[in-house]
Amino acid sequence: MLNGIFSVEFVNSILRATTPILFATMASSVAAKAGICNMALEGMMLLSALFGVLFSALGGGIFGAATGLSQFASFGVGFLLTVLVGGIIGMIFAFCILQMKADEILAAIALNLVASGGTIMLLMAVTGEKGASNAIASVAAPKVTIPLIESIPVLGKILSGQNLLTWLSLLSVVVMHLFLYKTPMGLKIRAVGENKDAAESVGISAKKVQYIALTISGMLASMGGFYLSGGYMNMFTRDMAAGRGYIALAASSMGADTPIGGFLVSILFGIAQAVANLMQLTTIPMQLIQMIPYLTTLIGLGVYSYVRMKRRKRLLQSE
Amino acid sequence: MKKLIALLLAAVMTLSLAACGSGDEAKNSDDTKNADSSTEDSDQAQEPEDEGDNAEAEGDDASGEPYKAAFLVNGNLGDKSFYDSANEGLTRLKEDLGADAFDFKVEEMGGDPADEANWEPTLLDYCDTGEYDVIVIGTWQMYDALLSAYKMYPDQKFIFFDEPFDFEAEGNPDNIFNMMFKQNEVSYLVGAGAALMTTSSEIEGIDPANSIIGFLGGMDGVLINDFLVGYIQGAKDVNPDIQVAVAYVGDYIDSAKGKDLSLAQFQNGADVSFNVAGNAGLGLIEAASESGKYAFGVDSDQAALLPDYAASIPSSALKNIGNALYLAIQEDMAGTLAYGTTKSYGFAEGGVGLVMDAHYEEILPESIRTKLAELQESIVNGEIEVKSAYSMSTEEVAEVVNSVKIQ
Repeated sequence: MLNGIFSVEFVNSILRATTPILFATMASSVAAKAGICNMALEGMMLLSALFGVLFSALGGGIFGAATGLSQFASFGVGFLLTVLVGGIIGMIFAFCILQMKADEILAAIALNLVASGGTIMLLMAVTGEKGASNAIASVAAPKVTIPLIESIPVLGKILSGQNLLTWLSLLSVVVMHLFLYKTPMGLKIRAVGENKDAAESVGISAKKVQYIALTISGMLASMGGFYLSGGYMNMFTRDMAAGRGYIALAASSMGADTPIGGFLVSILFGIAQAVANLMQLTTIPMQLIQMIPYLTTLIGLGVYSYVRMKRRKRLLQSE
Repeated sequence: MKKLIALLLAAVMTLSLAACGSGDEAKNSDDTKNADSSTEDSDQAQEPEDEGDNAEAEGDDASGEPYKAAFLVNGNLGDKSFYDSANEGLTRLKEDLGADAFDFKVEEMGGDPADEANWEPTLLDYCDTGEYDVIVIGTWQMYDALLSAYKMYPDQKFIFFDEPFDFEAEGNPDNIFNMMFKQNEVSYLVGAGAALMTTSSEIEGIDPANSIIGFLGGMDGVLINDFLVGYIQGAKDVNPDIQVAVAYVGDYIDSAKGKDLSLAQFQNGADVSFNVAGNAGLGLIEAASESGKYAFGVDSDQAALLPDYAASIPSSALKNIGNALYLAIQEDMAGTLAYGTTKSYGFAEGGVGLVMDAHYEEILPESIRTKLAELQESIVNGEIEVKSAYSMSTEEVAEVVNSVKIQ
């Protein structure tokens, strides 16, 4: 058990578990900052997981799926198309709740249900299978080996050989942080999320801003979905998002909907999951182990609420 | 406050979805399946028997109407396994006997949570028509529906498969035939095969130094544990020092988590594992393929279904529900089907089987194959009695699992 925790593989398994949640957490953050609770993340991820397989297979058809440059090109085509479709799904979701004034929670539930059934239907239409996409020769995201760093013991094995999307997910934290806090559009998004009417009174079109936020949210969620079927696994299996969209929603909330906060909580969830996986090798009863990720969430939420309550009290006192 | 409510809502949704998801999958995976390829051997074995029954069926025929069966699927056909196997058995029976002697109807009721509410009304509708000699349903999810149906329609006959029916608690109804499968028997063979493989020096990619094997289950329930208990017994019988890394995914859909759990097993010395986790089990197969190790398939001939990963799948454990239905309905036509009882279909009855085709011969050396064939023979003739989780308490199962845990 201890050997397991201090191994390179353990760090890798944390990163594997964190990557999809991290993307989705960023997706949730940007939507939440614009004042929308994007509960449709689960469905967006699931749809993108299937599209990722289909589009990267398409790319594979054009460039070939061999390793090296052609794999990169095939992956690139698949990834970009998937993110594009993810953005469109985000827009459709935005259209439903902003234009058609549907309740955002109900619209999200609808989208999640459509994704669950729709992916199976689409899979059936394309491959004739209902369970998994193994019949499609999809192209997974390449792993990034870094020449010199590779040879450093331990650290080299962690830094080099990671999936490209894992790096991208870490990068997305920085990008989202800069976007939300250092750009005019980020300011507008936050303003709309903080107080829609106030934002509109100074000439910001709240609807437009929320459209943009949800499109970005959809694109980020689709990256997480792509990773599920083209990085974590190498095929699509039905309902493979398995609740990660909801976990990301919780992670984002716990991180006060900030990219950095969400990142820290996602890592925490990733660690909890990886520890739980390793602990199944021990004699500790499985039921206790399976509690760990949820227990971590609960404790994290408790701590978060407590800190917030304290802060609010202090604020009240200072007034 | 608003955020907290949103959060709570999210948590509730996650939990409820997880619950639905697993329930949904349970029938797909647990209630295991079968591939056509494996049924061929047993088909041939049945031929003489069939002819005898044919004669009887034709005898019935003279009285007019064909024997009619309704198969209500609480899911969809096309799963390439469980339900398709049942459908295949019924189709084969119809072909063999002719449409004027036997006919059947399949009703796909859908397997989504939204469809569940329709299962019981559909079942009652079918009972109400009175047209069908027998109604075939299965899995634990249909249990409650059956409970109300058999009471309301005492003259309607039911075949209920893959979940034990508690005849005593229900006052011994005589219109239900309960069909069970001895997955523990085929699992015993898989366990023995895995244990023999992990110490073999003849198989590529296997480190014969340690004797560790793995097991990936879906949820910690009786059916999965029935597989597990047989698996461990088989492994222990051929190698008393065997250690088994047991992991449960917690659902039947999270293939990525299944892959992570399996990678942890392989990294800790396991060479061979066994997936009984529905779609989540595909994660094990990927993990085995990536690590250059081996994973036994379940439900259907997974080596045939997953050609890209076939090199890592020596064989698959099958539940031949189609075979069992084929036999049972013929017995019913002859009037000899023992309603009011539970019958378990094992190796001897062709209810379960291990895929032993050219692919299997390619991966496993002859010494192991011979041993497995011997073990199967011993199970069939009763020399080996495989323990079943259905007749064990939770503590006893835990004891078995702990006796082989990695120290």
